[in-house]
Amino acid sequence: MGYAAARGGLSAIKSAEDLVARLRDNDPSNRLDIDQFTGRLRLLVDRVMGEAGLWAPEFAAMALRQAEGDVIEAVHLLRAYKSTLPRFAVAQVLDADDIDPERRVVPAFREPGGPQILGRSTDYTARMLKPDTRADEFTTDDAAQREVSSTEVVTTVATPEMRRMSDVLRDMDLLVDRRMATDPEPFDITRMPAKPPAPRSARLSTMARAETGALINQWYRNILGPDGYLHEVTLGEVRHGSLPITTTHPATGNEVTIGQFRVTEVEAIEDLDGVEEDRGSFDVGYGMCLGHNERKAIAMANLDIACHRDGSKSSLEQSILMTTDGLDSAGFLEHLKLPHYVTFRSMVERKVAVRRARTARTTDEMTDEMEVQS
Amino acid sequence: MTSIAELTGPPQATPFALLDEESKREIRRALLQAVATPGYQVPFGSREMPVARGWGSGGLQISLAIVGRHDVVKVIDQGDDEGVNAVNLRRLISSSTNTEETTEVNEATIVQSRHRIPEDAMEEDHILVLQVPVPEPLRGVERDMKELARMHAEADYSKMWVSLYEDKVRNGVITQTTGYPCLVAGRYVTATTPIPRWDIPRLHQSEFLTLFGAGREKRVYAIPPHTDVEPLTFDDVPFEVESADGASCRLCGSNESFLVESPGDTPTWACSDTAFCRRRRTK
Repeated sequence: MGYAAARGGLSAIKSAEDLVARLRDNDPSNRLDIDQFTGRLRLLVDRVMGEAGLWAPEFAAMALRQAEGDVIEAVHLLRAYKSTLPRFAVAQVLDADDIDPERRVVPAFREPGGPQILGRSTDYTARMLKPDTRADEFTTDDAAQREVSSTEVVTTVATPEMRRMSDVLRDMDLLVDRRMATDPEPFDITRMPAKPPAPRSARLSTMARAETGALINQWYRNILGPDGYLHEVTLGEVRHGSLPITTTHPATGNEVTIGQFRVTEVEAIEDLDGVEEDRGSFDVGYGMCLGHNERKAIAMANLDIACHRDGSKSSLEQSILMTTDGLDSAGFLEHLKLPHYVTFRSMVERKVAVRRARTARTTDEMTDEMEVQS
Repeated sequence: MTSIAELTGPPQATPFALLDEESKREIRRALLQAVATPGYQVPFGSREMPVARGWGSGGLQISLAIVGRHDVVKVIDQGDDEGVNAVNLRRLISSSTNTEETTEVNEATIVQSRHRIPEDAMEEDHILVLQVPVPEPLRGVERDMKELARMHAEADYSKMWVSLYEDKVRNGVITQTTGYPCLVAGRYVTATTPIPRWDIPRLHQSEFLTLFGAGREKRVYAIPPHTDVEPLTFDDVPFEVESADGASCRLCGSNESFLVESPGDTPTWACSDTAFCRRRRTK
């Protein structure tokens, strides 16, 4: 099979790959180790795992290093890797109340059931750039001291059971009851494309994998932009913590816990004020994503309830389902860099045809006028 | 605690044709449905590929799902085997399957293409895989996906006809450029990818099977052999393919192939199908 044609394209690609790899790997600075990403760039790793829909901190770190810190590229690497793997087991349904919380904020109540845990957060830190971060690092003694004191806080405060705000509101009879008697299988967006009207599980899983910025923008354009399908909600829960993942062992048939993963979970309490709605009740939107990414989970919970209230009357559901995936949007945007000279040639040809038709029509009209005059 | 390592065993090499077997089977099932309902967009669980969405990930998934060890693969972009994206897709297919590559249509069993159908005749033992950016032919006249689903279900294509009529009245010609909408097997209006109008007549009652893959939009569809493909037009407005006003290829002299223009003081023209052009020169 003779394939001896010039291979200019291939050598260009290989040179580009080589250039990227060489300039990245031969940089005079220290090579970044995987544990530096997972240990020091935790939020970046979490974001990549969330958008990839794959809990694998070391692989996410590898992807980030290979992608020179490009988040969407790293997400692409992880998702493409996932495409090569068979699905050999499905996890048991887990109860989000089993969360081992590292952080919990309940803006809706001053003293909710259970603790408010500020935890690891820069929410109330002055955003002052500290050029010499080294000076800011703890000495080992300081660190040990802090370790102790933070442990103390958790262990010495007698905390009542952590009750989620939707349950509290339900007990107060202030919540619209949307619980279903049936328990439908969740829609699997990785095996079937979701299109409107879609079940809520499809919207939630789409948002859980969505590009963080895209979701924030969806939220904000509804606050200040032309759409306006949602208004500000009160947050009932903002949680971050670990959950166990269990599955059935393929050989023994027993339930086995195969690991832990961290999630951010949000409940958004909506003040129902629509004409057709129950003005005497609240409703709740839900958000959960892999890793620590509060912005994303908050936007998700807001959009979840907005979508429900909208009842797929507007284009909101389609916007959420079809436009928030980072790989879809970025891939299509960047495909504009591909050659388009066949399609462009066809466009040029039609421009010429339109002009020709225009000239012909003008000539026809002139002839008609002359005939009328004569 | 049982570890993930115990459950999964040692890591395996990348599978044949990249995708795991279940995924390939799923794509083949969708393709069978597509062949059985010509022109109908079949949803499928599009996987993330090593190439970005919008870069041929749908066509690539089809090729990888149907390729066998004895296939010979040709990949073109704009008609050119050496376009960088064509090269990239071809090496992904061949390196993950050890299949042979070719630039010659008659040697190939699978031809994956972006924006062109090869000039050379394809026969019943060829499968043409087209990469599709936008599988929905009606999107220009309707954005709402629920309404689009209804229009296809009821074969209600009136908006499309009105839009073509208005186009003709306003502009004197139908200005649709590439990806011209066609009625397939008398039932579904179908997006012909952005292939130029020049290529459309060759889809009608073709000898070969054409498979369309839209990875980003997660749809596949098909035009089986011996199927009617009629470009939407009016009885008194003939369908027009691209013309280049007597131009001919500066390399092979062809005036019977799709030509692309190189602008300049004296513009020149060349075949977009480079394999066709080269063979004419070496004959």
